[in-house]
Amino acid sequence: MAALVFVVPVVWRGYCSLGAWARLAALGLVVAGLFIGSRYASGLFRLIGGRLAQGLLLFITFLALVYLLLEAQPGDITQQLILNPKLPPEAQDIMAAQLGLDQPLPTRVVTYTTNFFCGELGFSFSQYPQQVAHLIAERLPRTITLFLSATVLAYFMGFGLGKVLAWRRGKRGETAVTLAGVGMYTVFYPWFAILMIWFFGYILNWFPIAKFTSVDTWSNPPDINGNILTPNYVFTRLLLSALITTVLIVMVISLAQRLPTERRTWPRRVGILIVLGLLVGYWATSVMAPYAADILHHTMLPVITLASVTFAGIMLLTRSSMLETLREDYILTARAKGLTDADVRDRHAARNALLPVVTSLVLALAFVISGGIITESVFSWPGLGSQLLGATLSEDIPLATGTLGIIAVLALIGHLVADVMYMYLDPRIRYS
Amino acid sequence: MSDNGHAPLLEVDRLVMRYETEKGEVSAVEDVSFSIRQGESLGLVGESGCGKTSVAMALMRLAADNARYKSGEIRLNGENLLALREDEMRARRWNDISMVFQGAMNSWNPVYRVGDQIREAIDIHFEPRPTDKEARARMTRLFELVGLNPAMLDHYPHEFSGGMRQRAVIAMALSCDPQLIIADEPTTALDVIVQDQILKELKKVQEQLGMSLIYISHDIAVIAEVTDTIGVMYAGRLVEYGPTLSIFHSPRHPYSFLLLSSTPSITGPRRKLAPLEGEPPNLLDPPTGCRFHPRCPYATEVCSTTVPELEDIGGGHQVACWHWQEVPVSIGALQR
Amino acid sequence: MTDLQIKPPAEVVAPLVPEAMWRVRLRLFRRTFAQNWKLFARNRIGLIGLGVIGVFALMAISHPILMNTVWQPNVYDPVQGYHAVSVEKTVVVTVTDPNTEIDLATAAVQSNPFVQVGDVISIPQQPAPPTFKPVEGTTRSGAVVAASHWLGTDPLGRDVLSQLLYSTRSAFFLGLVAALVTVFIATTVGSISAYFGGGLDTFLMRFADLILLVPLLPVLIVVSALFTLTLPLLGLVIGILTGFGGTAIILKSQALQVKVKPFIDAARIAGGSHRHVILRHIIPNVLPLSFLYMMFTVTDAISLEATLSFLGLLSIPMSWGIMINTASSQGYLLSGTDFWWLLLPAGMAVSLLAGSFFLVGRAMDEVVNPRLRRR
Repeated sequence: MAALVFVVPVVWRGYCSLGAWARLAALGLVVAGLFIGSRYASGLFRLIGGRLAQGLLLFITFLALVYLLLEAQPGDITQQLILNPKLPPEAQDIMAAQLGLDQPLPTRVVTYTTNFFCGELGFSFSQYPQQVAHLIAERLPRTITLFLSATVLAYFMGFGLGKVLAWRRGKRGETAVTLAGVGMYTVFYPWFAILMIWFFGYILNWFPIAKFTSVDTWSNPPDINGNILTPNYVFTRLLLSALITTVLIVMVISLAQRLPTERRTWPRRVGILIVLGLLVGYWATSVMAPYAADILHHTMLPVITLASVTFAGIMLLTRSSMLETLREDYILTARAKGLTDADVRDRHAARNALLPVVTSLVLALAFVISGGIITESVFSWPGLGSQLLGATLSEDIPLATGTLGIIAVLALIGHLVADVMYMYLDPRIRYS
Repeated sequence: MSDNGHAPLLEVDRLVMRYETEKGEVSAVEDVSFSIRQGESLGLVGESGCGKTSVAMALMRLAADNARYKSGEIRLNGENLLALREDEMRARRWNDISMVFQGAMNSWNPVYRVGDQIREAIDIHFEPRPTDKEARARMTRLFELVGLNPAMLDHYPHEFSGGMRQRAVIAMALSCDPQLIIADEPTTALDVIVQDQILKELKKVQEQLGMSLIYISHDIAVIAEVTDTIGVMYAGRLVEYGPTLSIFHSPRHPYSFLLLSSTPSITGPRRKLAPLEGEPPNLLDPPTGCRFHPRCPYATEVCSTTVPELEDIGGGHQVACWHWQEVPVSIGALQR
Repeated sequence: MTDLQIKPPAEVVAPLVPEAMWRVRLRLFRRTFAQNWKLFARNRIGLIGLGVIGVFALMAISHPILMNTVWQPNVYDPVQGYHAVSVEKTVVVTVTDPNTEIDLATAAVQSNPFVQVGDVISIPQQPAPPTFKPVEGTTRSGAVVAASHWLGTDPLGRDVLSQLLYSTRSAFFLGLVAALVTVFIATTVGSISAYFGGGLDTFLMRFADLILLVPLLPVLIVVSALFTLTLPLLGLVIGILTGFGGTAIILKSQALQVKVKPFIDAARIAGGSHRHVILRHIIPNVLPLSFLYMMFTVTDAISLEATLSFLGLLSIPMSWGIMINTASSQGYLLSGTDFWWLLLPAGMAVSLLAGSFFLVGRAMDEVVNPRLRRR
């Protein structure tokens, strides 16, 4: 595994030094390698190797289609360049060279497609001469944070409430909550986001109403290692510490799993508390603390808004999945064994109802991505969604398509994660 | 009937249970009484929808949410189960009465190992909670008892064949040394050879451990193989009740008679199968009087107005019919 | 499914006089329809949804009628209409009563740059609050008219109620186009894919995966950058994308279940061509589920249109999304309860109509999938 860290960059650099068709051949080799490798490998890779190859193939096709869409629009892209007053004449030459515009169509498609894997996404029309890849890289972490935290929050809330709803089918309150769930699921999201800002930001004044940072806090940032503290620096630190904390907690839990059942609880609790304590301790003593707090404060409302809409869909799905699971014979067995209602519900019904809900991560993903774009636009949150919108409105085609490509990558990763989780949760697939 | 002088283990006394639905009350169990002693086995037979599974569920108090226990008592060792609090009842389940279900093929939760699912029952009912080693030893014994390799404990249900799964279900049912096991059509989904093996296994284990058994099936031939006493149910009522041999050889209720004569016999002489005509009644609006009268060849005026009570006709054989004397005494064809 | 399959009733099996086939079909259709309606009507939530859709349909119908009878086009036209009440305000340095006074900077923007403190200027009141009494005001051409605005006017002096009713029609139109295109494509693709299998199936399903890869909204955003999206075109694009995507996969799995039924073999043995089997046997059995997904497509199409309009990406004269977009681009986004008529009616309309189609879809789901039914 460790060797991969050194091998991958070398291979990548090698790939990027190739010509268009050679790059395509290299990609083909990778796909074939993954397919064949998954046949002979063992463990996790055997299960996901094929999926990985399929996803890669799918993504290459997607990029080709995007390029064909570009070609299909009235007038070709260089005309846009001529008409755009912001761009100097030499921009046209750079663009033509990068896209191989003098080449025949198949070569152009291949060039565009394979360029993507080197991060050669061209330059932005509206922010010339900034590179699209650079603009995307700057905003990617913020969007991932928004998507990830909203998804996780939505899943926890949606699953927790959905299973209780199914359990209480036909009782008082259940219909009301279901109706409210449908309402949240189909509510006109931009309008809902505006209402949220108005209520929590404007009336209650709990959260800032827009943007990523507040001007007052950042008026005089300190120096860190000789550089002026930037929001991105703090934000990256925040992400990193969240990641490390998660890894540590997973380690604590899996270590505790090795203890006998009845002696697990306390070591696990203490371990998690220590990890959380370290996290809080690091940030509390850091000079970055007020700045980090400012960013977190700005992050909360968008995440809550996005999560509360995504959550409704998951809740409804959990409910119907759970209703089906509750009819299974093993639920009756579990009750006959004398398990308490809570155990039957959580250990037996909910655990199985989780399977279709995990499969529907794809559905939730569509929700989170679409919702994320709207959220970013309404909250003026500087992420990929607002970049996509801004690029579209200013007809900055390379930036728009590049951002769409990255969104596709995020979606693809989401699908893969869902697959892996499903395999982990369903022994029928794991051991077959 | 093996009368060993003990007080009955389980007594069901004039139990009435109905399901409340949007269309009205479904009379699923109507005035059913029977009792069973330690080590005895009782078979309940009838067409599907006759209320036999409802009786089983009522004994475990696991009937659907819309079930209402209208009257009657279910006494286990003299204690009325219907009067217990839910948590008290929970402690009785599996510990005193366990069950092998109708859809036993699907009785296993697909995401947990078989051993863990048995362990779950053991953990709830044994005080103090057994250690890993004790529980493992117990489960190993159980698996050996039902003829399974104890290594299979660490496998997932989908890795078991149908027959193995059913044996494992029996092992799980035995895991807390229950006094009574209810087996609800445990072999229906299996092929005939496996069915026979499982049946023998069940009988053997029951006799070995001295437990009581209630065996529910639509197949009277299967029931006759494993039980001492038979109760024939029709449309929620017990219509005939008595020693297996007596009922099997000379059923006196027209329904039991037709049920038996509609079963072909391989070993006996050739005979014409008497078909059982008509459909089982709609329990939302059951027939008045004897519920069998619309389908009964012997029905007269009295049958449609007055409900016949179970009446002892000698040797513990009870029948609820106004015309039991008109039913042919023996259908020799059924003798083995 | 079981309830929707056509069960030949006794009298059809052996008719005394040969009956026209279409009559038999009609009768069977009426019977299954009545059965399914009974099942559907048991679900109160579905009925509520249907009722709300009915109300919206009435609203859609009422707009052209009102425009032709009661409403003057120059005042009430949803796009071009204009009617604003002028309010006299005194220009002051510091505003103490916003109803009668205005500060210098704002006055310079709203009236003319040369106003001075102490001048009395007349400022058109737009957006104007709802009123049931006809108020006197001027139209764009300068004519003085009296008109009432039950839901007030928007920041450009246009009647909100008229916009709301007009947009209902476009919402239905868009939903219908998208749903019909989706169902047509998905049913065809699903049936063909399931029936023939093999390479064609693989190709179509991979294509569906490709479409499912990226959510509709970002794709439509980029498409709107490249092409000019009008309402019919948007309906078509949504229809094609959902039709080849998720809906096709669901309908294919349904068609697969139909394909293995004995009557398909029977039809093949009786000499039915592939075309005949697909058209007469597979598609009719997939259709109930198609109708169900029509409802969900309508939900999606309405929300997508509103979202894209809100983001200002469509070239549509008026829609609920554009109403919100107008309010937001004129700076009334966070006005809250003060200018509620700018955001609330349109936002509610999108949510309610989309939600109602979703509820009807869910109720139909319980009819089509018996396993979801309550006992």
